[in-house]
Amino acid sequence: MGAARLELVQGTGPDAPARRIPAASSDPTPTRVRVIDGALHCIARQGVAGTTLDDVARAARCSRATVYRAFPGGKDAVLRAVVDTEVSRFFSALAVRMGEAVDIEDVLVAGMSEAATEVSGHAALGQVLRHEPELVLPWLAFGRLDEVLAATCAFTTPFLGRFLDTAESKRVAEWATRIVVSYLACPATGVDLTDPAHVRQLVRQFVLPGIRALSSRPGARRPAAGVSSVARVDPAFAAHPIETTKGDVS
Amino acid sequence: MSVDGPRQRILEATYACVARWGLSKTTVEDAARQAGLSRATVYRYFPGGRDELLDAVVSWQYLLFFGRLYEEVQGSCSLQEVLERGLMFARRAVLEHEVLQTVMETEPDVLVPKLTVESNRTVGLIGAFLVPYLHQHGLADGVDVNRAADFLARMLLSYISSPGHWDLGDAEQVATLVRTEMLAGVVAHGGRGGT
Repeated sequence: MGAARLELVQGTGPDAPARRIPAASSDPTPTRVRVIDGALHCIARQGVAGTTLDDVARAARCSRATVYRAFPGGKDAVLRAVVDTEVSRFFSALAVRMGEAVDIEDVLVAGMSEAATEVSGHAALGQVLRHEPELVLPWLAFGRLDEVLAATCAFTTPFLGRFLDTAESKRVAEWATRIVVSYLACPATGVDLTDPAHVRQLVRQFVLPGIRALSSRPGARRPAAGVSSVARVDPAFAAHPIETTKGDVS
Repeated sequence: MSVDGPRQRILEATYACVARWGLSKTTVEDAARQAGLSRATVYRYFPGGRDELLDAVVSWQYLLFFGRLYEEVQGSCSLQEVLERGLMFARRAVLEHEVLQTVMETEPDVLVPKLTVESNRTVGLIGAFLVPYLHQHGLADGVDVNRAADFLARMLLSYISSPGHWDLGDAEQVATLVRTEMLAGVVAHGGRGGT
């Protein structure tokens, strides 16, 4: 699933891998859409393993042969298309919310709360997480989470780039993604990231000070014992000192 | 200790099997043979059979890992030092852990759900360990100590598992990471960090 997701994000274009429009078909797009939506409904009800191509055909109100014509790769191809579609929807929703923001605090609150809301309100994803966690959880740890962080970071960086320079935007995008993943994978009592007020508190308390800390003069704080110097920060970051933004709180 | 004897022996034997064949292919029979015990004895200690045995092995190794991490950061005299040493040590330990690396590569679908259960339990433990350091350092205005500890524990686990663009082998990067993405909003500015 995740592989499809990442290819989609990295490719971003309409040439998602699963897209193979059958020749000589009168109106192929609605069939694909019906099949993808049908599959999504089936997964929400009975999970990935429990969904057969017959179920998908029934939900899409077409024949099995029609499904195969639209998706010659069969169930795997349908699943890929479902993941691609849902990942696109997810990022579109994120883009709309983040695009409306007027300062760095808002853009973070919008992105993080929208991401949490989309993920936790997703019926099919919820079903899979409850009953087939092995399909999703591997993407939330180790090297695969690094890939997810990189893909999400690539998509969201430009939205932060309206308020921060590029290097800083990348760093903050990855950090914010990491925070959302952590609270979604392991919910904390009293912290509900689908509630923008909770996210705002988290952002004000822990994230904005971290953005400011990097812009403040390195070495202003005492270095930790045993570390020779904090004065030389990571050159990739130091090369781009950030400007404090208009949305900055005290 | 004598009560723990066979259990420990079974765990070690199972771990040896996992190292050789992976999680999915290790059976109760393999573990019993490796431990030089009967299947019945293994079932006496692990009535849930294979599933319980594999969960127990992951739990045991996980605790060993965090036990070593705990030893490593024990002598630290400041919050920064705990976090910096912890991150560097844990990341190195993950990379050098051959069995973990192999299983992570070949059976993430089996391993990661088990590790997720463990890591969700660990957030609270790491948080509790950090609380005294937070008190010692002094918190930023309006920050609740338990919330701060929870936040730091999550971030710690996240970076250890997936450092993203950070190079946790580089002390300077780690110092920057701890200063900005972990402590900036948590501790009082000009706190008693360096005691």
